[in-house]
Amino acid sequence: MLDHAWPQQSRAIRDSIGYLPEDDCYIAGLEGIESVTLMAQLSGLPTGEALRRSHEMMDFCGFGEERYREVESYSTGMRQKLKFAQTLVHDPPLLILDEPTTGLDPDQRLSMLRRIRNLATQHGKSVILSTHILPDVRTVCDHVVILVAGTVRVMDTLENLSRPVEPTMHLSIMGDPQTLIDRVSSAGHSVRWNAQTGTLTVGGIAPDQTAQLWSWAAETETAVRRLEPAVNSLEQIFMDVAAGKKTSGSTQEIAAGLHAAGLDPEADRAGP
Amino acid sequence: MPVHDLGYRTWRGERAAHFLRPLVVARAGIALVFKRRWLRIMLVLAWLPVLFPAFGIFAFEYSSTEPELQDMIVGLVSRPLQQPELGALIRNDPEAARHQVWSTLILMFFRYPQLFAMVALIGLIAPLLVSYDLRTKAYLMYFSRPLSPTQYIIGKSAVIWCLLGMVVTLPALLLYGMGVLLSPDLSVVQQTWDIPLRIFAASFVLLIPTTTLAILFSSLTAESRYATFCWFATWALGFVAYQILTFSPAAMSGDRPRRRRGPVDWEAMGVDLDRWRLLSPYHTLGKVQAWIFGLDTTSASVIPCVVLLVAITVVGFWIVRRRILARLSV
Repeated sequence: MLDHAWPQQSRAIRDSIGYLPEDDCYIAGLEGIESVTLMAQLSGLPTGEALRRSHEMMDFCGFGEERYREVESYSTGMRQKLKFAQTLVHDPPLLILDEPTTGLDPDQRLSMLRRIRNLATQHGKSVILSTHILPDVRTVCDHVVILVAGTVRVMDTLENLSRPVEPTMHLSIMGDPQTLIDRVSSAGHSVRWNAQTGTLTVGGIAPDQTAQLWSWAAETETAVRRLEPAVNSLEQIFMDVAAGKKTSGSTQEIAAGLHAAGLDPEADRAGP
Repeated sequence: MPVHDLGYRTWRGERAAHFLRPLVVARAGIALVFKRRWLRIMLVLAWLPVLFPAFGIFAFEYSSTEPELQDMIVGLVSRPLQQPELGALIRNDPEAARHQVWSTLILMFFRYPQLFAMVALIGLIAPLLVSYDLRTKAYLMYFSRPLSPTQYIIGKSAVIWCLLGMVVTLPALLLYGMGVLLSPDLSVVQQTWDIPLRIFAASFVLLIPTTTLAILFSSLTAESRYATFCWFATWALGFVAYQILTFSPAAMSGDRPRRRRGPVDWEAMGVDLDRWRLLSPYHTLGKVQAWIFGLDTTSASVIPCVVLLVAITVVGFWIVRRRILARLSV
């Protein structure tokens, strides 16, 4: 693991891992900056460097003067940020983050996710994010592993999991869609109209074939307000897997199995 | 964004060796307990008893030129310390008495004020060490770093060792140093060179088992008050049980120690001072420390006491380690 032998070099491995526990854990009596410095020193940073680096990480995590307050007086969100600073202080190449956005208010949550994404994309950190907040997964992750009762049930890229069995497009239509529906149907594609949302779902059209849709819309003089590819919802995948709709198989088989298991690609859409 | 916020930067530097990590735990623990004002006051108060043996050594060293001081030190060792032979030796040959006088006074310092100070200090500090970590789940933070349970225990124990060293070992060494400086010439070092070693040995005997016992209680519960209660109960109940079981036969028989100079001859009264000693940590430690200073007055072997202290240390350490590993297991 991380070029180290397990378990012989477990300490070197732990030096290379930043772990953010889900539990509310802190060292009573210490100030915020002292807590981060202690973790840095436990990871082997020299005293002065540990303090400097701790300030740097607390700045990165959005701490101001409150870093000089005792940790007991911190709110849940601040403790979460403190744990994140402790996770990063020794500059580990691998981050294991267990529910990192718990207790954060919406703007702090967004900032936290941006930081995590930034660490992965700009600084080459590998991030393992454990969470039940599935929108966070879509914001941060490239790969998804779904565990049920300690067993891996799904393991694939987010892109693969999101892709429906049949390429499908969602169109938001202004006005009467009937002529467009007739035109698309005549071309042999499946079409479904949702009057409540004003959305037309067209099957068999991949994202790179949207020119065809635009031409049919122009031909039938239909105004298209929005056009986007359909993706599988993680929530639906998670619930189906947890419910045992698909319980075994290799990585790709699991992913393929999900499609075959009848997950409706048209049932959900990505956000606007 | 503040001007000093540099964003995330990588860090490449030399890391400290893994075996030094317990020092970080110890240093953090010491800094944490020193934040408490009551502790700082207690440390100062714990130093005050050193004045008594210091005065004893002062009186002894000036006894050759000041008859009043000689009467005072002879009176001290003959009556409160129950060693009339030593009192006579001070009068007849002070040079020959020096080693025993110093040892007796330093042992007295270890046995009485500092043992009680140790019980009070550890009782108030030790529960804060592991119990608090269990309560606040701080162990998750510690063990996410390259720290083994053994290193964690050593680090936490070192907090207590440091504080006890400050109130027991350091003043005892200062007493010795003061004795050397007050003596007529530095040749006394040749007579008394072993006393500092005995001080270290007695400190070791005091520190290791008691710290392990305190950490053990602290690791058994997340409620520090229960750990504090168990600690004081162990010492108090052990002390009381020993006193009752040892002296009640003599008390019930109606015998009273005759008033005379010198130590009470308990054995003549049918009292066995060693029979129930292992029940009381206080008396067990006292026996071993007296043996270390060469002043053990009872007839039984010191080995059972040493075995008990070793057993407390080994079993205590094993249990603490198991408790920590159990917390870390999924």
